[in-house]
Amino acid sequence: MKFDIIIIGGGLSGLTAGIALAEAGKDVALVSAGQSSLHFGSGSLDLLGCDEKGNDIYKPLDAIKAVNSKHQYNKLEDVSSLAGVAKQLLERAGIATTGNITSNHWRITPIGGLMPTWLSMEGMATIEDPDQMPWRKVALVNIINYLDFPTKFLASGLRDKGVEVDVKAVSLPELQKLRQSPTEMRSSNIAKVIESNELIVKLAEEVYKVAGEGYDMVLLPAVLGMTNSEKSQQLLKLIKVPARYVATLPPSVPGVRMQTMLRKRFTALGGTFFTGDQVTEGLFEDNILKGVKTAKLDGTTLEADNFILATGSFMSRGLKADYNRVYEPALGVDVDDLGLDRKTWAKIDVTDAQPYMEMGVKTDENLRCMRNGTTISNLFAVGSILSGHNSIKRLDAGGVDMLTALQVANNIIK
Amino acid sequence: MANETQTQNVSVNNFEQCLKCSICTVYCPVSAVSPEYPGPKQAGPDAERYRMKNKEFFDDALKMCLNCKRCEVACPNDVHIGDIIQAARIKYNTHRPKLRDMMLANTDFVGTMASPFAAIANPILKLKPMKAILHGVMAIDKHRTFPDYSSRKFESWFKKNAASEQDKFNKHVSYFHGCYVNYNYPQLGIDFVKVMNAVGYGVHLLEKEKCCGVALIANGMPKQAKRQGEVNMTSMRKAIANGHQVLTTSSTCTFTMRDEYDHLLGIDNHDVRDSISLATRFLFQLIEKGEIKLAFREDYHKRVAYHSACHMERMGWVPYSTQLLRMILGIDFVMLESQCCGISGTYGFKKENYERSQAIGKGLFDQIKEVNPDYVATDCETCKWQIEMSAGTPVMNPISIIAEALDIEATRKLNNLD
Repeated sequence: MKFDIIIIGGGLSGLTAGIALAEAGKDVALVSAGQSSLHFGSGSLDLLGCDEKGNDIYKPLDAIKAVNSKHQYNKLEDVSSLAGVAKQLLERAGIATTGNITSNHWRITPIGGLMPTWLSMEGMATIEDPDQMPWRKVALVNIINYLDFPTKFLASGLRDKGVEVDVKAVSLPELQKLRQSPTEMRSSNIAKVIESNELIVKLAEEVYKVAGEGYDMVLLPAVLGMTNSEKSQQLLKLIKVPARYVATLPPSVPGVRMQTMLRKRFTALGGTFFTGDQVTEGLFEDNILKGVKTAKLDGTTLEADNFILATGSFMSRGLKADYNRVYEPALGVDVDDLGLDRKTWAKIDVTDAQPYMEMGVKTDENLRCMRNGTTISNLFAVGSILSGHNSIKRLDAGGVDMLTALQVANNIIK
Repeated sequence: MANETQTQNVSVNNFEQCLKCSICTVYCPVSAVSPEYPGPKQAGPDAERYRMKNKEFFDDALKMCLNCKRCEVACPNDVHIGDIIQAARIKYNTHRPKLRDMMLANTDFVGTMASPFAAIANPILKLKPMKAILHGVMAIDKHRTFPDYSSRKFESWFKKNAASEQDKFNKHVSYFHGCYVNYNYPQLGIDFVKVMNAVGYGVHLLEKEKCCGVALIANGMPKQAKRQGEVNMTSMRKAIANGHQVLTTSSTCTFTMRDEYDHLLGIDNHDVRDSISLATRFLFQLIEKGEIKLAFREDYHKRVAYHSACHMERMGWVPYSTQLLRMILGIDFVMLESQCCGISGTYGFKKENYERSQAIGKGLFDQIKEVNPDYVATDCETCKWQIEMSAGTPVMNPISIIAEALDIEATRKLNNLD
């Protein structure tokens, strides 16, 4: 099967590249082995949250200019413009966000921390300046028996910031049915139950009963709206007092929503999605990638003019490690292992910056991959599989994913 | 040594690869509507650890699993969650199948009995009192529309009308028609023969064909499924020895014979598997290689929405059918969001599953009504029953759409047959 471009990996970076290229009129196919790490998403996308010492960054644009030479942001032609394009691309997919590249804002983590971030999906609780909390008194309203919203941690985190917090809980008979299987009282199942207007109205009434008066803000677990934001926005309006969502432990409903809407956009633009399949081999000829083989399409080669590797890092199986080496399993492209001895890949203290996190595939200045030291002229890499950044310590995952994807789309269209 | 330990540490159905990430639970169509079902992660890899210790941990709720495999498609770590659940049902379930389940599962037997009486059976099965009896006595849901039985089996049609023509061709394939084509909808088989003949392939039946066994597996009769599977494998080996590919027009039969035979029934199919293919995939691959060409009628204009059947999705073959349909210029093609229709073979026919089945499919039915196509195209026959009954839109196998849109004369010419 022949396409203009084949993208390997169906998460944020792969879909961003796919949508950008399909919008430019290209015939794009995407091969995805299982669902992506957006399912653990926060409902926000980070651009650059922390400096090398771990301090919060307020003005990311300045900080991006100062990143070390290995960081992939150095390969972006115009960060500011790409960031604007990314926000618009999300918007066209139906994903409205707040935030911009000039100033970070802060999101609330499920365990009560505040993290600097770039774009937050509409309805998520955000804070402009962590030193000046916008709320004096907050009601933290959970759903009875829902365990993936740790209210004690959340309340404690907010209290540390000087906010007065009351923890409340509400329920509906329809939701309590979910407890029939104790393991299944999950965010995604709650989202599937609260789909009808009638239940949203009822839930809003329950929330209003316990938190309708005396609070500057009502914070709710983000458990509504897997396929679009209509229901979650409707609930906020119906509560009648200021209310916002906080991300829960996985699965993340805002993350699933982002994944679903991006995929829908890609398909609506005519993109072809190879679901649940895995690239097993690349057919190289004279430093050009001619085609790829997959696990399921035996007998068929997927051919294209250009290829994009967007398979993620270790957790997404884009990178693999055995006792001796770190490697890229799909196409066998070169990996930068930082020249580290096996014993120094990881630090003993799990909270330390882990060296292996900065390992990734090697690319040239145009984000093209290499094989045995030679650049492959039509194979690009985007997102977390790239070397040179630690998304946990620097809070830059969303930016690296979307901006490298858009840069590569530009490089290909040129 | 260390490396060997690592690479050889592969558990049955990859169950130790489960990271407990819970992504599969997002995509389970059953737990979304039936909270009493423990969901794929709990029913699969989590509870498997307990079951390995003590079979008492087997939970009857596992029979609520549709075996749609959407958990497996979603799993980022290639854990065969659905296989773990189905294997547990086969291994630990001690209940004998009910009469109803035996009737629903024995598609061959029931079809053989019903076909000669189709003229009587079809209207009777539509009568309210009959539906009430089936509902009350047999626990087959009264809301269900039974697929009509055909008065003439596909095999009879083929022997009378087509068989003698087939040896004239230079190239040949064997056709596993399946129960649905044989007893309920011979037209699909007729369409298949028409398309294959138009591109220069003779079609042959297998020496002996038995139901693929998917319904037997689902209804707790794995031994019978295995016996039937062995018969199919023997017939297919003979066809393959003659140089034939074995083609099908049903995604579920294909999936069962290629993957479930080995994974669930322990049938050795390694020498046959690669020669079993779906007709759309076979045609697409030949077109791609430039070995055949299709010409379509210029006056053909239809709006077609494609529904990705669960097992089609699990095989990863959806693009073969969709790319093939997109070759028909007169088609206004819409891709439906991939989700389960809820029928899952015999599952949705059972009284205890009916409401769940309809709730699972609701999103899909709404989507189809919104798109408002002339046809829904899908590679699965039971999805066809479910969608036609619940969304009211005619459903066609892609092969039937191709047969309808095909300009036979022009196609024969393009393939140098005249």
